Amino acid sequence: MELIHHKILGLATIIYVIILLLHFIYFAFKKEVIFKTIWWVIYINFILHTAGIIFRWIDSYRLDIGHAPLSNLYESLIFFSWCICLMIILMKKRLTYPIITMFSIIGALFFIAYASLSPGVDKGIQPLIPALQSNWLHIHVITCFISYAAFVISFICSILYFVRVDWSIMPDKDTLEEINYKSIMVGFPMLSAGILTGAVWAHYAWGSYWSWDPKETWSLITWIVYALLLHARFVKGWRGNRLALISIIGFFSVMFTYFGVNFLLSGLHSYAV
Amino acid sequence: MLPKEPLPLQNATNATRNSDIEDNSIKEKNTINRLFGFFGSVKLTVFILSFIAITSVLGTLIKQNAPAEEYLSTYSETIIRIIVLFKLYDIYHAPWFIGAVVVFAINLGVCTFTRFFRKKKGASFSLPDEKTLSNMELSFTLNKDLEGVLLPLIKKSFKKKIYDSDDGLIYEKNPFSKYGVPLIHISIIVILIGSLVGLIWGYKGFVVLHKGDIKEKFLLRGEGTKEMGLGFAIRCKDFNISYYPNGSPKDYVTTVEVIEKGRVILEKDIRVNNPLNYKGLHLYQSSYGVSPLFMFKIDGKEVNLKEHDEYETQGFIMIPIRFDASIHNFGPGVQVAYLDNNGEPKTAWFLRDIPKMKQRNLAGKTVMLEDIKEDLWTGLEVTYDPGVSIVWTGFALLLLGLYINFFVISGRVYIRRLPDALIVAGISIKHKERFRIAFEKIMRGLNGTDPS
Ligand code: HEM
Repeated sequence: MELIHHKILGLATIIYVIILLLHFIYFAFKKEVIFKTIWWVIYINFILHTAGIIFRWIDSYRLDIGHAPLSNLYESLIFFSWCICLMIILMKKRLTYPIITMFSIIGALFFIAYASLSPGVDKGIQPLIPALQSNWLHIHVITCFISYAAFVISFICSILYFVRVDWSIMPDKDTLEEINYKSIMVGFPMLSAGILTGAVWAHYAWGSYWSWDPKETWSLITWIVYALLLHARFVKGWRGNRLALISIIGFFSVMFTYFGVNFLLSGLHSYAV
Repeated sequence: MLPKEPLPLQNATNATRNSDIEDNSIKEKNTINRLFGFFGSVKLTVFILSFIAITSVLGTLIKQNAPAEEYLSTYSETIIRIIVLFKLYDIYHAPWFIGAVVVFAINLGVCTFTRFFRKKKGASFSLPDEKTLSNMELSFTLNKDLEGVLLPLIKKSFKKKIYDSDDGLIYEKNPFSKYGVPLIHISIIVILIGSLVGLIWGYKGFVVLHKGDIKEKFLLRGEGTKEMGLGFAIRCKDFNISYYPNGSPKDYVTTVEVIEKGRVILEKDIRVNNPLNYKGLHLYQSSYGVSPLFMFKIDGKEVNLKEHDEYETQGFIMIPIRFDASIHNFGPGVQVAYLDNNGEPKTAWFLRDIPKMKQRNLAGKTVMLEDIKEDLWTGLEVTYDPGVSIVWTGFALLLLGLYINFFVISGRVYIRRLPDALIVAGISIKHKERFRIAFEKIMRGLNGTDPS
């Protein structure tokens, strides 16, 4: 069934591609105007993306199975992409480097495109199974994905940290480190909140706030990696490559928590997000 | 504030060690301090946290608490021996894993104690010298006479004065923000204590209810057939499953009555995500199923039996032992065990839909299987966990601590009085950007009055 939100999200996907192209144009001509335009298009697309999510929400009510669109792989991918876009907007002041916005947009584009193009992702609106009928679902999913999005930015900065080309478009290392740390300052508390709300929810749904199911375990592992990063930085005074490396490990752990656990391991969470 | 020696205590003892007196108490103190040093070191934290993280990964790769056959069919003998030796089939409850968590908790406790509480005793603030101040990213000099204008401006957002002397002043913004870190650490200890309390005093179990059943006991998990009293009785008034149009389940609802001393105290719909909480016990909707109810007529008398129910009358005993929903396409049937006239155990099959096999003569009784009904049961998980409220408290403290540490702007403003001017500098470790805004606000406030 082709619903209106599919069209809106399809359009948003195309505009992400356009934003990406605008970045290339910027790198070719290095005109400030183009970068300004990029930001405007990002804003507009963010509104469009938001509208897509809201329309899906409304559609679900039309189908008489109304629930917030945060409950299956498709919806979570769309929302993840939205969170990345939100994160670049929130960090706009710091992200004055088009190379960082470009990679962030690639991230957002990847997830939204994966959601709509992969044959393995069911795009339909499914009714909520009883275990997911809880307000904790919303707060849990929102906090988790905001943290994931923040870690995307941190990951991008860490990767750029290892790129050793002397390009004028490359931010200097201090800036990368600063943005990296800033995004972890958002990501870590959000991930903590995500794990804690997940635990509260599990208590109400399954009678046990922690059952070492693979998804829970992997989110704990991710949390430990970023805690180690903060301590390496703050207590041991680590900087530079080593810190960037921990951040990269942390991001792999995030991605494994999100995808790997679903596809490779089985557990309580395997029904959905 | 950056790289700090994790062991301020040991330096202190090194000084006393020079003393000539061989005092045992000093030696003892040294051992204690060394222990403190060991358990309070960040190296240990890094090691133990990495250890916990890596072994946790292992726990997601090896299936946990699976039946023995599964391990036997997946792994070779040597690996199985290792799995059994280190309890890798239940890593998170293995003694060495719990041991690691305990070491971590001690590490965290000692660390928090030494760093954040001991340190404060002799805490003193010193004003950096002129050169350091003027090298700070945020700094400016000011006409000496403007101190009277400057101070009120600073006080507006840097309320606390932590140093005041002839050579200058130090103001701190949101000084409580330094309690964020100890709060985070303490909250983790609180959570661990809460989970320990649950591990020791909590229990879990399961109760199966058919419609109309009244139960006062539940089956303890992991302890075979051991039962435990609920402390009250529950009666299953109703159990319903509703479905969405596409056939997927929408809602499981068990309507129960809590009964004490023969009186109904309350009635409640237990749903997934909506447990019954009563007297510290939580009853969750956890599963359901269908069990057959066999409707026999024995010598003309109606008898309803579930699987494994024993029926006895005048020396005749029979037990339905096996149900099959479809026997070679002949429809549902049940195998019954009974004692024949010689006291020998025998079995017989009854098939509901085959007239010839509906009725039999067992030990002189005419037994007829009238019908097999599907009897729905609901499974409630019962948990008692006195640690939950402690864990929740820990969660709240952790979130508060994280908020204070990461989102409350902290920083200091230094004012040094020079012979002919004032040098003002500000620094923030964690919130450079937002601190700069606060600092620049002060500068802007001065701009109106100060031409320099
Ligand atoms: C999973 C466990 C832990 C978590 C989640 C945690 C969390 C944190 C956080 C969020 C910070 C603030 C870092 C920042 O502001 O960037 C911090 C700082 C710190 N933590 Fe931990 N911590 C943990 C375990 C430990 C342990 C076991 C120790 C003991 C050695 C420790 C010692 C410290 C110290 C010394 C600081 C630096 C405080 C400062 O210089 O301002 N932490 N911790």
